[in-house]
Amino acid sequence: MIMAATSAPSSEFLTSSGLGRDNEQSLDIEVLKDAAKKALINALNSVNGAKTLVLDPTLAGPLGLVTEVALLKHHGVDKMFWLEPGPLTSTTTNVIYLCRPLIKYVKIIADQIKIHSKESLKHRYTLFLVPRTSTLVSRILEEEGVLGDVTVSSYNLQFIPVAEDVISLEYDNAFKELWVDGDETVIYNSALALDVLQKTYGQFPRIIGKGDYASKLATLLTRPLPEQPSVSVDPLTSPAPFDSLIILDRHVDMITPLLTQLTYEGLIDELIGIKNSHVEIPLSLLNPPSAPNPENPGASLPSTSAIITPVLNEKTKKHVLSAATDPLFAELRDLNFSSVGKRLSRVAHRLDEDYKARLQAKTVAQLRDFVGKLGGLQTEHQALKLHTGLSEMLVPRTRTNLFSKSLEIQQNLVASYETSAQISAIEDMIAQGADMQTVARLLCLASITTGGIKTRALENVKKEFLQAYGYHLLPLLLSLSAPPLSIILQNPPPVSMSPSVAVNKLPFTAIRKSLRLLIDDNPEALEELENDISYVYSGYAPISVRLVQCVAQKSGVISNPAEKVSVDTPDGKGKGSASKKLFAHPIVGWKGFEDILSTIPGQTFDIVQKAPAATASRAPSISSLLRPHEQTTTTAIFFLGGCTYTEIAALRWVGRQNRGRKFLIATTGIVSGASLMKSIANDGKRGPGKRDTTI
Amino acid sequence: MDIIAEHPTTTWEAMPDGNVFYRRLQLYTIPGKLPDLDDFVVAGCRNGGPIALMRDSSRIIPVGGTGHTFPKSQIQVYSPAGEGLLLLSWDQGKIIRFGWTADERLVVLNEEGVYRLYDLQSDYQQFSLGSEAAEMGIIDAQIHENGLVALSGSLSLLEVKDWEGSRPLTLANPGLSEPPHSWAVIPPDQNISRHVEVLLSVENTILVVDNLENMDQRISRGPFLRVSPSPNGKLLALLNYNGSLWVVSTDFQRNLAEFDTQTAGAEGPVNQVEWCGNDAILVTWNNLAVLVGPSGDTLRYFYVGATFAVTEIDGVRVIGQEVCDFIQKVPTSTMSVFRPGSTSPSAILFDAWESFTRRSSKANESIRSIRPDLAAAVNECIDAAGREWEPYWQRRLLSAAKFGWGFLDLYNPSDFVAMGQSLKVLNSVRFYEIGIPLTYSQFQYASLMHLITRLTSRNLHLLALRISSYLSLTPDSVLKHWASAKIARSKATTADGEDEGLCQVIVDKFEKLGNGAVSYADIARRAWEVGRAGLATKLLDHETRASDQVPLLLTMKEDKLALLKAVDSGDTELVYHVLLHLHKRLPLGSFFRLIEDGGERLAPASRLLQVYAREQNREMLRDFYYSDDRRVESASLALEEASRMTDQAAVVTSVKAAEKFFSEDKDRSFEAKMMDESARLLTIQQQLEKDSDGKVKFFGQSVSETVHICLVNGMGKRADKVKAEFKVPDKRFWYIKLHALTAIRDFVSLEAFARSKRSPIGYEAFVQHLVEAGHPKEASTYVVRCDAPRRVELYVLCDDWRAAGKECKERGDKKGLEQLKKRCPNSLLSRELEIMGTSMK
Repeated sequence: MIMAATSAPSSEFLTSSGLGRDNEQSLDIEVLKDAAKKALINALNSVNGAKTLVLDPTLAGPLGLVTEVALLKHHGVDKMFWLEPGPLTSTTTNVIYLCRPLIKYVKIIADQIKIHSKESLKHRYTLFLVPRTSTLVSRILEEEGVLGDVTVSSYNLQFIPVAEDVISLEYDNAFKELWVDGDETVIYNSALALDVLQKTYGQFPRIIGKGDYASKLATLLTRPLPEQPSVSVDPLTSPAPFDSLIILDRHVDMITPLLTQLTYEGLIDELIGIKNSHVEIPLSLLNPPSAPNPENPGASLPSTSAIITPVLNEKTKKHVLSAATDPLFAELRDLNFSSVGKRLSRVAHRLDEDYKARLQAKTVAQLRDFVGKLGGLQTEHQALKLHTGLSEMLVPRTRTNLFSKSLEIQQNLVASYETSAQISAIEDMIAQGADMQTVARLLCLASITTGGIKTRALENVKKEFLQAYGYHLLPLLLSLSAPPLSIILQNPPPVSMSPSVAVNKLPFTAIRKSLRLLIDDNPEALEELENDISYVYSGYAPISVRLVQCVAQKSGVISNPAEKVSVDTPDGKGKGSASKKLFAHPIVGWKGFEDILSTIPGQTFDIVQKAPAATASRAPSISSLLRPHEQTTTTAIFFLGGCTYTEIAALRWVGRQNRGRKFLIATTGIVSGASLMKSIANDGKRGPGKRDTTI
Repeated sequence: MDIIAEHPTTTWEAMPDGNVFYRRLQLYTIPGKLPDLDDFVVAGCRNGGPIALMRDSSRIIPVGGTGHTFPKSQIQVYSPAGEGLLLLSWDQGKIIRFGWTADERLVVLNEEGVYRLYDLQSDYQQFSLGSEAAEMGIIDAQIHENGLVALSGSLSLLEVKDWEGSRPLTLANPGLSEPPHSWAVIPPDQNISRHVEVLLSVENTILVVDNLENMDQRISRGPFLRVSPSPNGKLLALLNYNGSLWVVSTDFQRNLAEFDTQTAGAEGPVNQVEWCGNDAILVTWNNLAVLVGPSGDTLRYFYVGATFAVTEIDGVRVIGQEVCDFIQKVPTSTMSVFRPGSTSPSAILFDAWESFTRRSSKANESIRSIRPDLAAAVNECIDAAGREWEPYWQRRLLSAAKFGWGFLDLYNPSDFVAMGQSLKVLNSVRFYEIGIPLTYSQFQYASLMHLITRLTSRNLHLLALRISSYLSLTPDSVLKHWASAKIARSKATTADGEDEGLCQVIVDKFEKLGNGAVSYADIARRAWEVGRAGLATKLLDHETRASDQVPLLLTMKEDKLALLKAVDSGDTELVYHVLLHLHKRLPLGSFFRLIEDGGERLAPASRLLQVYAREQNREMLRDFYYSDDRRVESASLALEEASRMTDQAAVVTSVKAAEKFFSEDKDRSFEAKMMDESARLLTIQQQLEKDSDGKVKFFGQSVSETVHICLVNGMGKRADKVKAEFKVPDKRFWYIKLHALTAIRDFVSLEAFARSKRSPIGYEAFVQHLVEAGHPKEASTYVVRCDAPRRVELYVLCDDWRAAGKECKERGDKKGLEQLKKRCPNSLLSRELEIMGTSMK
């Protein structure tokens, strides 16, 4: 009885999460984390003695995923401060700045140094730029007259694992920098990071992708890039070598991030906000159910969170959402929110029964058995409490009038239903005081799906927008409608507009048909079984993921691969159906979908890379013996400009449908529609105030 | 050629205790090739490197004595085989110290703190220790392979790392009052801290100084004349004034040996105290060198005249008038094979092989007797081969190894092959014309690439290339060096054909030998440096890496080309490099023109310039937009500035400026209108603030917010006025008012407002908002005004179950009532609903 009860969660966990599916090994991405950690230690050690660390606040999150405060302390970090305007008081001779090469940071640093020299304080300054040094920074330091006082070096922080199959560069502003500022630094840095990935796990034999910036990135990858230190995993022993790299730039599919995400993790991001895998939640949800439990790493990581939350209001606490420490989360994160409640109650029942097992324990041995499991049960109990609490926080927010109205408008727009009525519905939302990002998202969505908004209607809604949220947002509207972004367009376009923009319009209705974006789902099936990636948006399939399917799972674009299995109950999916799964077809580029691809704006490319001379002689000989029937391969997907949790969920779903192909999702950062709008609207207003992050 | 060389043991000598053997290998005989070392200051380079000589100005030398005199300000460099490699004339300030870097460059430091790094072709790089050092003067320095530590006139210590010309670091203040008696440096890579440590002999003690602190070791045996750390940095040899040599660990915790040098029976002062590997010390006088072993035992070696000893990691090299010797402890493997009476498996294997060559049957017996240890014996013979100097014995040992492995079932011969290859390389560089007496362990330690660089720096390109291809290395570095040397040597002529020809020769060679992976940029730079611009351009065309191409193009003032290449490379860092460089050099007008003329191809550069200027140089950005008639961007910039300003008048001015920019573009009439509204709103807000005596903040709020604030602060009339002024639609106005009145809980006014006319937003909005704001009771009063079918639900929303029940009853909806009963939160209500239900019948 006990055995049966406790084995249930693990098997379910295997099938419904992406973790250990099929027992096929995937790439060990922890290598990247270790490399990042080691590089940080080397950087710190290069400065002798105790040091004060001044940290770029936007790096704290990414660093928190790589290291913990204890490690920094161990390597001589005495005190830590945020890099913020205002004077710096340091008790140590050595001051280390760690930041991204942004001009505003460099100016703060220069100011602090100038203050010190005015007070004739002697400090030794070292500036570590992430991920590489920059002439721009040296130049500004020179202009500010402090270059001589600073040793400039770099800390090459690149891909950070944020989940077992997701790695991220954690650039917050990648999208804005590319499509608003036209600053292509991100592309080059991505190329460097992908190159390290190639050096670590073996070359991408084929680079396939869509989008103008994506194409630029691919071209960079085929050219010789500067040498970078990297760890190397022997490609012959690598469990799942790359079969290809798919690069999609965010602009190819702007619709997806504009829609409200409906998966559990996605919804948390939409409504509460997830930053660098951390979510801020009330402390009460994190307290262990009973006495503090040492075996409970998932509930709270005080050391890791200390780095990010120096001083915060008493009530909330940052918590890492990680499937590795929280199996329940692994089970829930990719579910459509509508089925989360059911899943939670099922887990609650099971847990209850597990606890009851105690009553059945008669002999001492049985009792000891139970006590042994108690720790695990408590961890699970705690996780259950956390996720029930989170769901309770989400539910009322999904019940508000504005939320449902926004969903309704979105659904009507993607279905092209009464499009002009939707514009007035958006105006109504403005009147009701919906928040700015939501309205801006809907506006963009309306423009993209309809191919432009009628001039009069557009001017009206823009006027409403500016009156309601402030005239200072005019640059935001200009940015959204200017190339290369062009996601708010008028119809017909103004005469002066270059004709190229008109050509670049997404033929949404045609694509909706050819890529089967809109699925007439029945709600019954949705709850129990995800039968197409469209489950993530309750019936709408993200274009980006469909494009990935065009390369890596061609049948999935045309029909639902899961329909055949739908006779199985979800619980019986485990080993029974695994054997039925088809083996993934080899990568043959866009074959079969060239016509559709050509209608979507942005360059389409498919590059076969030559194997480097050194490995060419031996690598294929062995792998070709194994392929295609035995060797599991990894398809890397890189989102230039960020991807959403929903897309990750959908890609995991795609990955579960076949044997022999793993997905490694790489991105410049995790985004949502709100975060995109926020970054574009960023009007440079920043709050003052210096926080001390004393350990 | 197979003359039978002397048996290896003939060079051996046992320490008096009889257990440890040292051997002295004669590397080269160099009669009369070197001047009398006694008259010179000498610096030797490790790993079989050359020695540098400068006349010791403190000695008097008879004119025309040996014919080797040369002026004081010259440095001569000789190979260990006595061949002159280089003659440097020094025209700078007085030389304080010279020494060698790890990559065989000669460092020369003068009293002004200027130091130069000379390669063996007398090309140099010059750096300085900074102005402070120049002022104070440098009085002494210690040069190690990867840096130097200088002692300034103010008795502080300056450290230079890595020979890249980096800024010197000041170490902790040693607190000296006079220069130390002697001092030494332990290089960073030999310390646990990975930072340099300086040992200073002051008074009777030793001070240990690093970049953090100064530690007195509290020793009373000084003062010390010589401080000499061992090659691995773990031990110290100290020689004090009474001639007592003391060996101690660098943490001064373990005494290892003591030896009184006065008992050695030498005349005159001690010349040098040098380590022989990490386990013995060589003390030299004129005519004599004494090797002090670990337990204080000694071996004596006699020389003619002065000698110079260079510590190596596995021994010590001694250069005298006549010979260049190498003294080392006999390596374990050699010892095992050749020690008289040795019965080790390797000795027996070697013996067996010798018997075999004599066709003696003893061979078989011997092999049998060592069968279990045969593999180890084979390995030992291979290793011993590496330790032998004579090819004859190398070959014999390798043959013995090969013979031995024939008896093994399975043996991986890669060690054997590698050793054979290494020895072939080593023997060729040891040849006296090349003169690099590198031992096998030094070769292992310093790497093959290091050896290749050393060969190329001697212009021995062919040998370097042969070795590269023999060991299947990429020949890039050799080719690169060859090409630079070729360019430097070739006569610079104006004829274009000359450039063409030379370029072709280089390109051909590169493509033939270098698989096209060689960087042309370095060679092009070299050509540029020697004034061959035409050749440089031609070579640069072959370069594929933009990051290498661009800096040179900039130096050559090929501005546009540099910018284009930078943009094409996709590396924004490179683009910034070019932009910032050009911005500094060109007049602003031509700078802008350069970028604008580039059109679409240079667009990324233009955008990067804007990103930079927006943060750092707004003035320039304004000019840039203005000069290019970019009205929209100019307007956006004005708005962005407005958002950063605090002065209200300035904000209004900026907004008006933005309006003006927009109005100049006929497609932007909408934006211009909006900016006009914005400016008007700001003026109204200023007035509102004045009217409310500055108690209420309005400035910078949106229209909706302004209306809201007016209402919240009881300025209803003003709210209406703002509404009219900006034509705020009724719907939005109603929502704002609803929200505002709810926020201040003015339910009376709300009621009045609701009755003022028919609500354009319906009354359901009232109910919902009031409920959301936490006023269900007030909300419930508006339900009657909503659509009839919705009422029941709305009542439930207001938590007013009775009213909901009543509503059901009035409409005769029995089913609805049942539903309500199921949903209601407590039994009391459920009971009431039940009664209502029954009364319905």
